[in-house]
Order: sequence, then C-alpha cells, then structure tokens
Amino acid sequence: MIVHVNGALLRFTDYRRDISVAAPTVEAALTKLADEYRPLQPVLFDRMGRLRATHRIFLNGELVAPDELASPAGDDDSVDLLLAISGG
Amino acid sequence: MPRWSSYEIPVDTGLFTPLGLQPTALCRLGFNAAGRWLGRNPISHSRLLAEHQTGLVVWSAQLDFDEPVGFFDADCLEMRVTARVRGAGTQVEFDLEVGSPLDTRARLQACCVPLRLEGDAALSGIPARLSPEVMAAFLPDEVGGRPHRSQVPGLRAAVLGDGTALAQHRLPFVIHRHQCEVADQWFWPEAVSLAAGAREELVRAEAERVPVLLPGLRTPVRRLDLLFSRPFFLFDEGAVRSSAYEWEGRLVFIHELVGSHEDRPRALVTEQFSLPEERAWD
Repeated sequence: MIVHVNGALLRFTDYRRDISVAAPTVEAALTKLADEYRPLQPVLFDRMGRLRATHRIFLNGELVAPDELASPAGDDDSVDLLLAISGG
Repeated sequence: MPRWSSYEIPVDTGLFTPLGLQPTALCRLGFNAAGRWLGRNPISHSRLLAEHQTGLVVWSAQLDFDEPVGFFDADCLEMRVTARVRGAGTQVEFDLEVGSPLDTRARLQACCVPLRLEGDAALSGIPARLSPEVMAAFLPDEVGGRPHRSQVPGLRAAVLGDGTALAQHRLPFVIHRHQCEVADQWFWPEAVSLAAGAREELVRAEAERVPVLLPGLRTPVRRLDLLFSRPFFLFDEGAVRSSAYEWEGRLVFIHELVGSHEDRPRALVTEQFSLPEERAWD
C-alpha cells in the first residue's frame, strides 16, 4: 500500500511524502514504516508500542479507529497519516 | 489584581503598511507579549513545554483597532499585556493593548487551549486542562470566569442572514516553512496574512463591478475575529474562500480557510471595515 505522510511528520521521513510499504494491515504498514524511518518510531508510537492518540489514520479516505488498525489492507490501498495538532 | 507587563518596543517600517500597523504584526507581537508575560509571571513558555509537557495553541482571537497606529506616530509602541485562566483550566486568555503611554489604539485578545504533550519530537498533544501545579503559578485574580466563547459563529450567522452579498473569490495556497512555528505547524497569525491576501485579490478582481469593495483596499481594517478548528501543517495545500458583504454600515469579509478536497473550514477569519457614510463605529 502507499502511505501518504503529511505535514509535521515529513521531517521524520526525510521529506518523503508517498511511501510504498508491503504489509498485510495498516498497523503492520505503520510499524514497517517506523522501522524504515527510525526517527518516526518514537513520534508514531509510545513506549508501550501503541500508536499515539495524536495521530489520525485514514484508509482510502476513511478515518480508521484504533481498534480497526489490524484490519486487512492490500497493495492498492492508500493510507494517510496525519498529526492532529501540535503544541509548539 | 491581575499582573500586567508593560514595555516599549521600537517601531520599524516592516511592522506597518501605509494604512497602519499590520494585523499580522499585531498577532505576532501579541504572541510574543504573551510569552513575555508568562515568563515574567507564572512560568516561561519553554518551561511550560519542557517541564510540564503543556503547550498552548490559539483557538480564538479578536483584534480591534480603535484608532490607526502609524509608523510616524511615535518612535516606540507601548505594550501592555496580561492573562487569565478561564474555564477551570481549559483556556488561557491573553489581553494585549498597543498604543502610546496615554492612549490605547489597538487591542488583541487571544484565547488559547492547553495541550498535554505526548513527549515526542513532533510536539504532538491533545487538549487537556492545565495541571494543578501550573494553575498554582497564577494569582487567584488571574483564575476564574466562564469559558471564552468565540464571537465568530454568531457574527457569521448575522452577516449571512442580514448582510448584502457583494462578491466571492477563492485563492489557493500552500503552507511553507517560513509560515510555520517550531513544530512545522502553521503559526496562527498566518491565517490573518492569508485572509488579507485573499481579500486584496477579491477587491482587485471585483471592485470595478462593485465599487463599495474599495474600502477593503483603501482603509485600514477596524476589527478581525479568528476561530480555529484544525491547524495547517508544512506543505498542506488549501484555499481561502472569501465572501464580501455590506452589513450594518460596514464592509465585512468572511474568509473560510479550507484544506484541499475539504469542505469544512479549518479556520474562519472575519474582517470589518468602515464604510464612508458610517459615523459611529462603536
């Protein structure tokens, strides 16, 4: 699937916006993405390995609830990764 | 008594247009003044972030220009700023007065929402009350009151309901880094800049057909109201959807800042100008 990285997260992927990730679920794709771009890992996940609540994940334009991240996703799917708000 | 900070800043030509103090400059000076007040009174902005994992984001703001503030009026601007906690710690509201020692000419009121930061490098956070430790750093007179309510929804409804529609315009934009703050999130005064640019383009495009729009270029804005629902971030694409109205003897521009492929505005900006026949503004 293609993961579209947006806004404040771009500097953690070296400004790559559209990244192809081979993974069976959205959750696995995000984990793989964080493995590939290590600075992104602590931004996406907390110390327990949970996706931080400050992120919004969209699968083909539909908001994905935290308990739906393990749903299957395929090569043709598109994931948007957004930071909701930051407190700078 | 709530604590105030008063100080002077030297004027420079970049803060002004031929019509007076730039509204965007007032917002930037206001946020800086808020940081100054925090640092000299309850707690510095950097300690708030670093030690208390608390950020502040502007949710609503109002700018009033009682009188034009011109570059040649004085060598310095007198700044007076205070703040209070409202809504049981769910809001921090700043008041800034700008003018000379003897008179206030412009005012900015900005209501911020505290965020509890996650502790990551992106400074991500979620809205939360101020902690008891931070609340204790404010004086009793600086805490209290009902939550601030933005005037934008009511003003917008009144203008749409009773105003005379004059013209519309749409101006695309992309957020670049010079428009962002430390977390690659847009710095909120950019909403004022984007709205002002969209208004100028609307007037340039339509004034020949609708001459009543010209005060939107000829005269300084008298009042701005801002309401934010979601920020823009680095390289986000969007557009300003602007509509102009004549309402209660004023020229009013309503700007909706929307992300590309979105309908719900992330920010609303209203600008009000005096029309020539108006005598009593307030």
